[in-house]
Amino acid sequence: MSKADQALDRGVVSAYEWKRKRVRLPLSFTHLLLLILLVVVGLLPLLWLGKAAITPTQDTLRMPMAIFPHGVDWENLATAWNTVGIGTQFVNTLWVALGSWLVQLVVATTGGYALSVLRPRYGRLVNALVLGTLFVPSVVLLVPLYLTILHPPLVGHSLINTFWAVWLPAGASAFNVLLVTRFFDNLPREIFEAARTDGAGSFRLFWSVVLPMSKPILGVVSVFAIINAWKDYLWPMLVLKDKAIQPLSVRLPEIQSQTQLDVYLAGLAISILIPVALFLVFQGMFLRGGGLDGAVKG
Amino acid sequence: MTALDTRVPDQALGTLPRPVRRVAVARSPRTWLKGGGLGNLVFMLPMLLIFGVFSWSPIVQAIVMSFQKTNLVTPATFVGFDNFVHVFQDPQFLTAVVNTGYFAVLALLFGYPIPLVVAVLMSEVRRLKGLFSVLAYLPVVVPPVVAVLLWKFFYDASPTGVFNTILDWVGIAPQPWIQSAATAMPSLVLEATWAGAGGTIIIYLAALSAVAPELYDAAEMDGAGIWKKIWHVTLPQLRGILLVTFILQIIGTAQVFLEPFLFTDGGPVNSTLSVLLLIYRYAFQSSLGGNYGAATALSVLLALVLAILSLVYFRMTRSWSDN
Amino acid sequence: MKSPGRITALAVAMLAGVGMLSACSSGDSGSKDGKVTLVVASLIPGSDAAAFEAFGARVKQFEKKYPNITIRSNEYQWTASNFTAELAGGTLPDVFNVPFTDSKALLQAGQLANITDEVKALPYGDKFNDKVLNVAQDDKGDIYGLPYGPYAMGLSYNRALFTEAGLDPDKPPTTWDEVRADAKTISEKVPGVAGYMQMTTDATGGWVLTTASYARGGRLETVKDGKYTVTADNSATKDALQYLHDLRWEDNSMGSNFLFGWSDINQAFGAGQIAMYPSGSDVLTSLVQSDNVDPKDYGITTLPLVGTNAGALSGGNVAVVNPKANRATQEAAVKWIDFYYISKLIDKNQAQADAKVLAKSNQPVGVPTLPLFDQATYDQNQDWIKDEVNIPLSNVKPFTSKIFDTNIVPEPARHTQDLYKALDTVVQAVLTDENADIDALLKGVNKQVQALIDADAK
Repeated sequence: MSKADQALDRGVVSAYEWKRKRVRLPLSFTHLLLLILLVVVGLLPLLWLGKAAITPTQDTLRMPMAIFPHGVDWENLATAWNTVGIGTQFVNTLWVALGSWLVQLVVATTGGYALSVLRPRYGRLVNALVLGTLFVPSVVLLVPLYLTILHPPLVGHSLINTFWAVWLPAGASAFNVLLVTRFFDNLPREIFEAARTDGAGSFRLFWSVVLPMSKPILGVVSVFAIINAWKDYLWPMLVLKDKAIQPLSVRLPEIQSQTQLDVYLAGLAISILIPVALFLVFQGMFLRGGGLDGAVKG
Repeated sequence: MTALDTRVPDQALGTLPRPVRRVAVARSPRTWLKGGGLGNLVFMLPMLLIFGVFSWSPIVQAIVMSFQKTNLVTPATFVGFDNFVHVFQDPQFLTAVVNTGYFAVLALLFGYPIPLVVAVLMSEVRRLKGLFSVLAYLPVVVPPVVAVLLWKFFYDASPTGVFNTILDWVGIAPQPWIQSAATAMPSLVLEATWAGAGGTIIIYLAALSAVAPELYDAAEMDGAGIWKKIWHVTLPQLRGILLVTFILQIIGTAQVFLEPFLFTDGGPVNSTLSVLLLIYRYAFQSSLGGNYGAATALSVLLALVLAILSLVYFRMTRSWSDN
Repeated sequence: MKSPGRITALAVAMLAGVGMLSACSSGDSGSKDGKVTLVVASLIPGSDAAAFEAFGARVKQFEKKYPNITIRSNEYQWTASNFTAELAGGTLPDVFNVPFTDSKALLQAGQLANITDEVKALPYGDKFNDKVLNVAQDDKGDIYGLPYGPYAMGLSYNRALFTEAGLDPDKPPTTWDEVRADAKTISEKVPGVAGYMQMTTDATGGWVLTTASYARGGRLETVKDGKYTVTADNSATKDALQYLHDLRWEDNSMGSNFLFGWSDINQAFGAGQIAMYPSGSDVLTSLVQSDNVDPKDYGITTLPLVGTNAGALSGGNVAVVNPKANRATQEAAVKWIDFYYISKLIDKNQAQADAKVLAKSNQPVGVPTLPLFDQATYDQNQDWIKDEVNIPLSNVKPFTSKIFDTNIVPEPARHTQDLYKALDTVVQAVLTDENADIDALLKGVNKQVQALIDADAK
């Protein structure tokens, strides 16, 4: 970074102040403290879980902070995966995430495209109705949505215990539509007009012009969709009752009282592997997505 | 109103003259079809269907059901405001409201200033900024259910519980954590803050990096030291985002369900019973069948309160943000 | 230019997608060409592999006997909170179980299938103990389920912990004072162990408090001329709560954790963290299947009885049929209930087949229950399976030798689960707040549950 860039890229503390010992020392010290604090608070609990996952029950109960006083028990992981069946729920969580992601993507892109680019006359009304749902807390939907899943229109039988019961309602995210619509609004209209003059119909315009330009926002929507699907608890708990189809978040509390502690903690550890791994690999997207979330709302 | 509001497709294609007036134009189905109406509809369809079935319709249904007595076997009957009366007269209702308020206040005390302070500190970090961000955000990535179950174990109240062992290192007596009505709610707030602070920190970081450096330069020229700069530049610049996160936090904590449900199921002695948990109890926890009328009545009430709160809040803060 | 054709194709594709939803499987059970698929409740979630093995073996035996019925099983556990969601969601199996406390209310609400004809066709259809069968009958005498597995409450204890604390496991406490003394000794001698504990959440708190009240001669509900009155503030219940208070706050013999449901307390017991707790007499089966308990370390005795009106709370489960199942499925359902739940009590071959299967998978055989029909049948059954009994009978002798002379008292009859839930709060209060006002809390329960009972009458 050049000196000039450094001068521009500054926060509260100026470059000059950084040079002064009275500022630099306490500030650096505070930063060090903060780092230690973040490690202890953010990282250690997860490391502890990793350790406990391969520690026998009695050790964890009697000496929770000791490190392998009687050796390591790798069996826990295998038992959790096979006997307790965490493997199945792990795969289910993937399915739930995948389906929810797809549904959300389809709804948000087609809807955003219609609202932002096509702009039919009733578009304004639909836009208002969609945004209006942002102000309705999801609790209001709980009971009637449950009854809707029990007796869905058109389908004729209940969707309970099917992934559709989770996938379809996930699509009703006004936030996604908002994000995508605003993004499309900011796309240069000239390109659309050029495409139209070349004879592109709505579908062609969507598929070949708008979508390829939307990769950033699709990335953000996808990250949110997958994270939310992985985290969701109350709704899957209500509609996915069969253990063969339950995701991890629903299954783990259910088996807590019937599973040995060490195997149980191994199960917990397994269930955080993917989210943490995804996060570490795609840090940028997560952290930027979080910021974008704030910027959009601000 | 931009040029885009005009019927571009028609112009480009020249298939039909553009309607002269934009309102009350009689159009035949043929006009609509040729004008791209079907295409528009097809693109609208996924959104319309999904929102219609899984969002708009349930919202209306909720309001209707709050005035009905339903048990899924016999047809629903209208009972006027009976459900609302039943909810108001339920001693659990008052408990739930007070508890939820307590949770919200505690969560604000813990969870509102801390991310701000941490974010301001982090924004000044010159090396390893990425490391700080990752560490701060890590708890957010952990699925909430896992976080609660893990902390439930940490909160074991026996002397060999994880937290009690740590307290023992510094000479503090073992705490009852979630086993006592007095400490249960604060314990829940502690875990909720741990799990959520990272997200807020990242939001603040983004907002902080958007503060124009010239403002700081100007302040320095007026002789401002670090604290003065924070007070006069940083905070005012962050005002917008601070106001938004404040109301969002209130709305979020008012709907807390996971922690009370998984940690203590509302106990001990209903000290962690939240409004959401009470709704769940009405609908899904009576072994002889749910009281869906009471559940929807309470959810409608909650939604109303939050709506009014938000409106009042935005009115109040509009004058602040305008300054 | 747009091609309406393309758009239409897209529209058709979307409608087809919606149509696909309709095509998804329309339910798992049902009958086709005389072949019936029956979905049944198997074991509670988290039971170990051996238990599922034993269950699977019984399923095979059944399918061999009835070749045109195929069994599919789901894990199932009745808890006060889960049941209603499953009921509403229609996710209940064709055959499932509900406790005695709820069967009447459910059948009156039309939630259980009427299986009178099928039951009457069974060889023992009229041999049931009337009082027991009554929980599954409506006012006309129609039958909606078959009771099985009646149990009485007892005091389960960990023999190994007794030995470790210097107490004799063959001489468990026989009075409440002795229970208290033993609890204190154990919690002092063995660190990290609660000498005594009882359940406190998810309606089990009230269930056990009612048990403790019965043992002291009290009753939670009284009935006169058909009118039910809640009497939670009777002196026996107060004594029981005061007892808990003293053990918790004076002796400190109940450990530091107080939020226990049925599965939680079994788990803690199995992990050696609790030495004694009131439980159903048949809990050993679950303890072995889910909590890794060794029957050699398990003991059970009767709860101490005080006074003339004292009794042991008894309950049980009713095997019921989903009313949404069609006729053929319901008939198959009753056959399964007969085979899996009842026949082993009354038919020598079935009894021995069942016992052999259990023993083979190391499931406990000989767990104490109560007679479903009469004492003679019960004794005969015990005789048939005596070769397969694999738990040390001497460990359960303190219970079995006394229970048949004990006054058996059924659970309160009205809004039982609501009463229990209300009492949960009282028990939790006593255990977590040293200054809890027992009288006021119990009066509050009276008021709350009485309102529910009175509302029914309108």
